[in-house]
Amino acid sequence: MTDLSVVGFLGLSSALLAVGIFGVLTRRNFILLLISIEIAMNAAILNFVYFAGFLGGTSGLTGQAIAVVLIGFAATEVAVGLGIVLALNRAKGTINVAQATELRL
Amino acid sequence: MILEELAFVFLAGIAVVTAVLSLLVRELVHTILWIAIFFVDLSAIYFLLEAPFLGVLQLGVYAGAVTVLLLFGIMVTRKRIFSREAATGIGAVPVGLALVTFIFLIAAVGEFSSAPGTIHSYNPSDLSQNLFNVNGPWLLLLGLIMLGAVGGAIYLVREGRE
Repeated sequence: MTDLSVVGFLGLSSALLAVGIFGVLTRRNFILLLISIEIAMNAAILNFVYFAGFLGGTSGLTGQAIAVVLIGFAATEVAVGLGIVLALNRAKGTINVAQATELRL
Repeated sequence: MILEELAFVFLAGIAVVTAVLSLLVRELVHTILWIAIFFVDLSAIYFLLEAPFLGVLQLGVYAGAVTVLLLFGIMVTRKRIFSREAATGIGAVPVGLALVTFIFLIAAVGEFSSAPGTIHSYNPSDLSQNLFNVNGPWLLLLGLIMLGAVGGAIYLVREGRE
């Protein structure tokens, strides 16, 4: 049994979400953009894991199962994102998203 | 427990600092280093939350696979791996938006009671029962989406595509 306060965890995930939003808005490199999205997604997963432990019982187990599925989704997203990075690099010679102005690569 | 609270404050501080540093350093390889520390740190937080299965999954998928994928992404798109990014200004508007989001969320968090809540521990076999029986369809859907994503990624990077 562990005792931890809910406010600290919600504060941590709020801070991580804010950092992720800051990264998405300021960075122009596609890989840094992907990393920002990962930070924001980890904030969401952290909430699921905390409340899974907080609730206990079947709902808690469901929360952990959702966290497992979310981690899988995040890994998938990085794989597709890096595919886009390679295609962008081949088409434009750069991975700066500001220069990806044509919809067709 | 005061020890667990201290451990959480320490780990949370490392998480926020490494997340900010990973977006602010100018060498992309250093970014990957900081983000790897961030992922390992979150895995430690999961262990603290009595979710060892998720902690190991975080280590394997994020600290292992995602970090290596991002490193490969950097290696194949630049001539020299250790080359600096052009400095990008940190505009007032993005920082302001992020701060407003943070303050809004913190104000909402303030509504919660700050009394410590008990974290329940799980038997991993119960989790696997739940994962493959109750939530089996979602896991199947995840597998199908991953298959589609792999097909899409191969389509994107294949040779000779116009």
